[in-house]
Amino acid sequence: MNDLPRHRIIKILTAQLPEKPTDAAINLWELMATQIISVIGESGFSSIYARSLFLTQSTCPWLPADSTAPEEHRFAALKKSLDGQPPSQANEANNLLLTTFTDILASLIGETLTNHLLDLAWGGNDALDRSGNEVQNE
Amino acid sequence: MSETDNKDSASNDSAIKPQPGKLPEAVDGGSENDAVAKEPLLSREQLLSAREDSAHLREMAADLREDAVQLREETVTLREHANPLFSAALHGQDSSPTESIQEATSILRQANEHLVIATLEAQKQAEQIQQAKDQLDYLAHHDALTDLPNRILLQDRLNQAIELARRQSKNFAVMFMDLDRFKHINDSLGHAVGDQLLLSVAHRLKGCVRHSDTISRHGGDEFVLLLSSIEHAEDAALSAQKMLAALALPHRIDRHDIHISVSIGISIYPNDGRDAETLIKSADTAMYCAKESGRNNYKFFESNMNALAVRRQNTEAGLRRALERQEFILHYQPEIDLHSGRIIGVEALIRWRHPELGLLAPEQFVPIAQECGLILPIGRWMLREACFQARLWQQAQLPAIPVSINISGVEFRDKCFLKNIRSALKEAGLEPRYLELELTENVLMQDTDLTNSVLHALAELGVKLAVDNFGTGCSSLSYLRTFSIDTLKIDRSFVNRMIGNQDDAAIVSTVINMGKSLNKRIIAEGVETPEQAAFLMARQCDEGQGYYFGYPVAAEAFTHSLQTGV
Repeated sequence: MNDLPRHRIIKILTAQLPEKPTDAAINLWELMATQIISVIGESGFSSIYARSLFLTQSTCPWLPADSTAPEEHRFAALKKSLDGQPPSQANEANNLLLTTFTDILASLIGETLTNHLLDLAWGGNDALDRSGNEVQNE
Repeated sequence: MSETDNKDSASNDSAIKPQPGKLPEAVDGGSENDAVAKEPLLSREQLLSAREDSAHLREMAADLREDAVQLREETVTLREHANPLFSAALHGQDSSPTESIQEATSILRQANEHLVIATLEAQKQAEQIQQAKDQLDYLAHHDALTDLPNRILLQDRLNQAIELARRQSKNFAVMFMDLDRFKHINDSLGHAVGDQLLLSVAHRLKGCVRHSDTISRHGGDEFVLLLSSIEHAEDAALSAQKMLAALALPHRIDRHDIHISVSIGISIYPNDGRDAETLIKSADTAMYCAKESGRNNYKFFESNMNALAVRRQNTEAGLRRALERQEFILHYQPEIDLHSGRIIGVEALIRWRHPELGLLAPEQFVPIAQECGLILPIGRWMLREACFQARLWQQAQLPAIPVSINISGVEFRDKCFLKNIRSALKEAGLEPRYLELELTENVLMQDTDLTNSVLHALAELGVKLAVDNFGTGCSSLSYLRTFSIDTLKIDRSFVNRMIGNQDDAAIVSTVINMGKSLNKRIIAEGVETPEQAAFLMARQCDEGQGYYFGYPVAAEAFTHSLQTGV
């Protein structure tokens, strides 16, 4: 996998999840979903999310197969399956899932717009700021 | 690089292996069935079903492509709607620019939504089609029953091996393996058991080869192994020994413990062939020699084997012609009452009046007829001919004596065996008690359930049964109690040696006593001297057969013997 800036950002965000890692992981998804849905709509997001789950299942077969859920419970199944795993494994899976999702998104709307949306979603995060600086310093 | 370079090997088939009975719906992003199949086997029905599914998949892909095109068209339409709204808002032509921008944004979002879905759908379709293609490709290169590479893939691997060995000046070996008497198992226990046996054999053979070797099913009960890298011919011999040892233990299938061996022929590149076809042919020829020298062994190809193979092929072709041209005849040898010297029975023995080679004895063509299946029509002819001849003698008012014929295992286990016996008797108008069937102990001991039911049916019909070559086959005598046997024919090997060898003399005496105790007729075969006849009479043996009493002769000559009683 190419070590793109957004990959590194995702890696940092998923590696530093606090005491309740699953809640934090789902929070990342919700923040991202809000921004992405504003551009590609609810169905567009669901479509990429379903595809990401399917692709990631080859590595983490315990991830949920069914991604069709009402908007308010969009990530309920993901939360449940992450909760069922040890934190390190859950973080690793979430890292892979987010990376896959953003790879597909970038292939559709381009790297720049993807990064912009991620910045809008996670911009307030300290880790992201640090990572951004790291990227700029390279 | 060849078309099939990247096919997975026999021992490590993976991602594109089809799931039994269906093609995976691989990439629809949801179902558990998306996962690639792990089950390695496809039955013939499943293969058919997989092909139908594949056709269905292609149709579905075409529908989805149409949907994708429609979605794109809708996207373009939406963008076309959104653009004037943006333009109007930016140029102040709209009364409420905020609303216009919101409306335009919403339309654009909708357009993006359609575009995302359409693009992902298109990607999935492309993957589905690719996966279906991979699966069909896999099916085209693997055997449906055993999942081993088939002859197409073997051919490809052989070509690669030849290319590599040529460049590196190295050797490799081809081993042609043919299961011994597999047809008998298939015929007697059914194709389902036969298929299970092939699977079990394939599994064991696969366990004997390296990852770099290719074990393929060539068809039927034939397997071909490509040993892609060997230093010396001895390496191939070691592999062959390993294969023979792997198959030595019985296969437990459907309550049966089945013993099967294999005959192996080995050819070495480049000495025995420089192309795939020649190498396989050489190994095949060597395999036939392994069979002829007793089966369950291996032989390296030698150039003089080609002559033997050609002779064998000629014999097979000649046998087919012989049936059409009625070149077979029966000779008749008397069975004699040792006390009175009267003819009390006759054995019909087949001969082939070969147009070029003259009169051929059965050992010169019957083994080949058994291997190629021609023994069945030949046996039918023999049965019918013997029945008609026996009836003719009776109609000529000659002494009514039973005629006996040899029945091979292949004939005995043939589904039409009983029907053929009945129709031969009926057509000839011969009473069943005048027909005696001679079976060897080994034929009787195979698949005792089937044997028992056939023998029972024959006994009910009234046909007589004899055990031929008694004492040379299976050591268990319990079948004498189990089956309705009328006659025991003491094997000629004991009779030949009984005068000078105490052990053989003891065996002959024991068989005579045992047979008499069990109320069986006892006939000593191969009696050639007056001393042998006297010895037998002294031990209360009642009947004998052999050159001392009379050579096998044509029907006309035997008619004369019957008329004169000599």
